[in-house]
Order: sequence, then C-alpha cells, then structure tokens
Amino acid sequence: MRSNYLARRIGTAIFTIVLIVIVNFGLFRMMPGSPERVLSRNPNVTPELIAATRARWGLDKPVFPDQFVRYLAATVQGDLGFSFRGRPVVDILAQRIWPTVILFGLGELVAIVIGLALGAYSGWRRGGPIDYLGNGLSLILYSTPYFLIGMALLLVFATGLGWFPTYGMMTAGATHAGPIDALVDFLAHIALPLTAVSIGLIGQYAIVMRASVVETLSEDYVTTARAMGLSDGRILRHHALPNALLPTVTLIAINLGYIIAGAITVEIVFNWPGLGTLTVEALSARDYGILQGIFLLLSVAVVLANLVADLVYGLLDPRVRA
Amino acid sequence: MTTPLAAAEGLAAGRTGTRLASPSHLLRRLVRRPDGLIGLFVLVTFAVLAIIPDLIVGPLQTAITAEGPRLGAPSAVNLLGTDELGRDIVNLTVHATRISMVIGLLATIITVFIGAFLGIVSGYVGGRLDAALMRIADFFLVIPTFVLAIILTSIIRDLAGSGAREVFGIRFGLIAIVFVIGITSWSSTARIIRSQTLSLRERAFVDRARVIGAGGGHIMRRHILPNVINLIVANAVLVFAGAVLTETTLSFVGLGDPFQPSWGQLLDAAREVGAPSLGAWWYFVPPGLCIILVVFAFTLVGSALDDLLNPKRAPRR
Repeated sequence: MRSNYLARRIGTAIFTIVLIVIVNFGLFRMMPGSPERVLSRNPNVTPELIAATRARWGLDKPVFPDQFVRYLAATVQGDLGFSFRGRPVVDILAQRIWPTVILFGLGELVAIVIGLALGAYSGWRRGGPIDYLGNGLSLILYSTPYFLIGMALLLVFATGLGWFPTYGMMTAGATHAGPIDALVDFLAHIALPLTAVSIGLIGQYAIVMRASVVETLSEDYVTTARAMGLSDGRILRHHALPNALLPTVTLIAINLGYIIAGAITVEIVFNWPGLGTLTVEALSARDYGILQGIFLLLSVAVVLANLVADLVYGLLDPRVRA
Repeated sequence: MTTPLAAAEGLAAGRTGTRLASPSHLLRRLVRRPDGLIGLFVLVTFAVLAIIPDLIVGPLQTAITAEGPRLGAPSAVNLLGTDELGRDIVNLTVHATRISMVIGLLATIITVFIGAFLGIVSGYVGGRLDAALMRIADFFLVIPTFVLAIILTSIIRDLAGSGAREVFGIRFGLIAIVFVIGITSWSSTARIIRSQTLSLRERAFVDRARVIGAGGGHIMRRHILPNVINLIVANAVLVFAGAVLTETTLSFVGLGDPFQPSWGQLLDAAREVGAPSLGAWWYFVPPGLCIILVVFAFTLVGSALDDLLNPKRAPRR
C-alpha cells in the first residue's frame, strides 16, 4: 500500500515534469526568435557562431526526434542555452534565484504562521468579532494584487515616513564596517518587500484554514468529543486542528504556482534583484531564453514542492495511502 | 489561473447536490443576502462606468489633448490629479474600467467555455479520455501559469503582430491576453464541472434517456448541461475575479497597451515614473482601489452563489 502511494505520487511528478519540458520545447520552436534568429539580431555575432548554434541545436535536422533529443539532453545536463546577450541562462538564473528564495521563503514562513493562526481562530469563533474582521480583511487582501500592497507600503513607510530605503537589496556602493552592519542594511531593505509578500499571502491562508476548521468542526467526531465533555480548547487542539491542517497543506502546495506569480511582482516595485525583476527585464528585451529558463525553474520547483506536500500528507493521513 | 478560492470551491463542489433553481429565482435569493447585494451593487456601478465612460468623463485624454500640469496633485480642476503627461486621473481610471472589464469578460467566456466543455465531456465519457484530460488539467493547476502566460502573450504578439486591428473595440495586442488567460485558466472550471457530471451520469433520468436511445452528444447537451448551468454561472463569477487580477498583473509586468490603458497598465505607468517614491499617491491609488473593489465584489457574489447552490455549506449549529 505505502510503496504504491509513493510510486504513484512520484510517477505523477515525473509525468508533470516531462510535460513541462515538452511544453518548453514547443515554445522554444514556436517562438519567433528560434535560437539562431535570436543571435542574428545581435550585430556582434559572427557567422561562425551562428553555424555553431545551428549545429548545437541540430537546426538542420528534423524537429522530431533529432532536435527534441538534443534539447532534452541539454536540459537534463542543466544547459538551458544562452541569453540574448550571450551569457548562459543557467548562470543568470543562479545569480538571481537567491534573492527570490530568501524573500519568498521568509514571506511564506511569516504568512503561514500568522495566516493559519488567524484562520483557525476565526473558524473556531465563527460569527465572533475577530471572525468578521479577519474574514473581511482576508477577503480584501485576497482581492489585492501583491504589488499594490508593495506600492502602498513604499508610499507610506519609505517615501512618507522615511523609515526604510526604497529600492534594492543593499545600499548601492556602500561599504559596510562589518557583517553586523551589512546585516542591518539588508534587513532595512528586505523589511518592506517581506511585509508586502506576507500580507498578500496571509489573506489566502486564513481563508483556506478558516473554511477547513469550520468544516472539521461539523464532523461527527467533534460532536462526540463535545458529548464526552472535553473542554473547548482540548477539542480544538487535539481533534479539530490536526485534521483541519491536512487539506490546508494540500491547498497551499497546489496554489504555490499561483502564489509565486504574485510574489515575484512585489520584487518589481522594490527593485529587488530576484527572478521577478529578471522576468520584467527579459520581457522588455524579448529575451525568450531567460523567460523559458524561469518558467522551467519555477515549474519544476513547484512540482517538487507538491510532491513533498503529497508525501507529508500521506505520512500524516493514513486514509489517502489506500 | 487558479485561485485558492476557486480550488477551495472545487473541493466543496464535489459534494454539491443538484438543485434546479431558475436563474431569476437564484438572483432573487442572491439580493436577499447582504454580501450578494453589496457585491451586485458594486458590479453594476462598474458596469455602468464601463459602458458609458465618454458620457461621464468625456473622451479618453491623450498626450495631445491633455491639459493639466505634469504629475499634478489633486485640485478643483483635476479631482484626482494628473499623470506625467498631464492627463486627468479620473478620466484615465474611468476609461480603464472599460478595458479591464471587457478583457475580463472575454477571458471569462473563453475560460468557462473550455472548462465546461472539457469538464462535461471528460466526466460523461470517462475512461482513458477522462484520465488524460484530468492529467492535463492538473498540469495547468500546478505549474506557475503566470510565467507561461507571459511567454505565450509575447510570442503571440511577435507572431501575429500587434497592429491596429481591433476586436470588440479592443486592440489585438490585448486580445492576445484574453486568449492566453483562457488557455491557462480553464482547469479549475473543468474539474468542478466534471465532478458534478460524474454524479449526474449515474442518475435515473440519464439512464432513461440512454435506454430510449439518446446519443452521448444529446445527453450531454440536453440532460447534463442544464443541470450544471448554475454551477457554471457561479464558477464564472469567480473566474472573472481571477481574470481581472491576471490581466492586471500581466499589464503590470509590461504587457499592457499604453494606447488602451487598463487599470494594470495605469499601475505599471505609475510605477515606471516612480509615483510611490515621489509621493504621487493619486496616480496609483484610484486604479488600485478599483481593482480591489471589483475583485472583492466578484468574490462576494461568487461565494454567495456557491453557498446558495451548495446545501452542505449552509450554516448549522
């Protein structure tokens, strides 16, 4: 049973990743600047380089299977081709991924803690003042694009009050006296984008968690626990919460792809040097190589995150392993 | 693109009982709820703005017809100030309503059409087709469709050219966004409709039709579709909210059309001139509030409809 569940989940993940690679290849061939045409737009490119590119991607051979096999082999080896300016896409991604991971990871952490707590409390005290306020606020936050939250924070706390710097990850050109100094500078820069990402996520998590708690509370075993005379706090902590958390974990994982899209737009507002700003730069330069690299990277990351969530879920809830 | 709410609805919809309420009956019950009434009021207000912007604020101002000061603060003449070209923000925001709403509407129609069609066929036919379609649906549900949407939009524009052709008064470059939203966000609709179709397929009236000799196409059109239409409407309302958000975000990363500004395009323009850093709140707060209000209203109406169609969700104690 258990290994069966494991195999099925891993199979699905592999299938999805293969589909992603195929879609990426399709986009690669469909796009107006196929590999050689992208290069030919660059005046510094020599005919030899174009010939090398043609040979490299097998552009004289049929699309399928020759070109596809070459593409697949290159992708598996971590070769995502070159950007418009001639730098390997992988190098560019490697440089820009960390700011996003830090910002998004911390934002996710803050949002999960606050959002789940708020949602659980709202669901528990359904109809109470915190529920009305929290639910209304969550719905409004849910309707707000992340970058808008960022713009508002920027206006109030950076421009208006002058508490925080307005852009970047570090003060440009500054020399730091020591690691503590550098850390303070970094924290001042991350404060606003981190708040924007967290606030944007909290609403969604609270809504999902609240719905889940409300649903769990109407289950028979909660009624049974009540009938047995257990205290409210005990029912919530030992009976309702663990079961309410399960669907929430799945929904969070499923929505990761959607959430990332919102979160990276926050970077644009604050000029945070991550994948979000890279997306906009690549888009305005029509640099498809980089865009596809970002798509591949984010997709595979989300699929793997989903796989982990599925496995954790299977570990926690014996029913789904059947 | 799937939204968390839509996914939550999807989980709930699996258990929805079928109830054949007529649309007018549904509307009457909707306006009796405070959330449904408020949501509908906001939507009707914005619909009026979208239909007759010229009557309310005059024609869309351009760089040539702009009269105000550059990035001027709110004044008696320009109630909400001006942009970097001296155009009136009230004028721009009201005209952007039409663009945002029309793109949202067209994208919703395409999304719901694809989703409902594939959902019904997948649920009714079943078997391998169902398995394959749902795999594809899951694929779109999981991957960051936003990045895919960015790539697809710019590819379509490069391939087809973004000339001056217009469809429904919307320039072709923006129509590309409509199609891309449709292609990338049908899967949650398909899942919801499929699960409902699965339970309808086992009902006696479907069996009866089959015994009489009705073909699959006929059953899906005449027996399944009428029974999922309310669900489709409730889902469409939520899809609209997602479509407006997606359009806004795509425009914000630079895929909007400066000649036909949507709210997202205005926000992008505001960011580019550095409005938040210059303290020019009047440039981005009005379009921002419009987006929040419209998406909020659609979400209210959508979840109210879902409550009405879903007996299990009714409050109990």
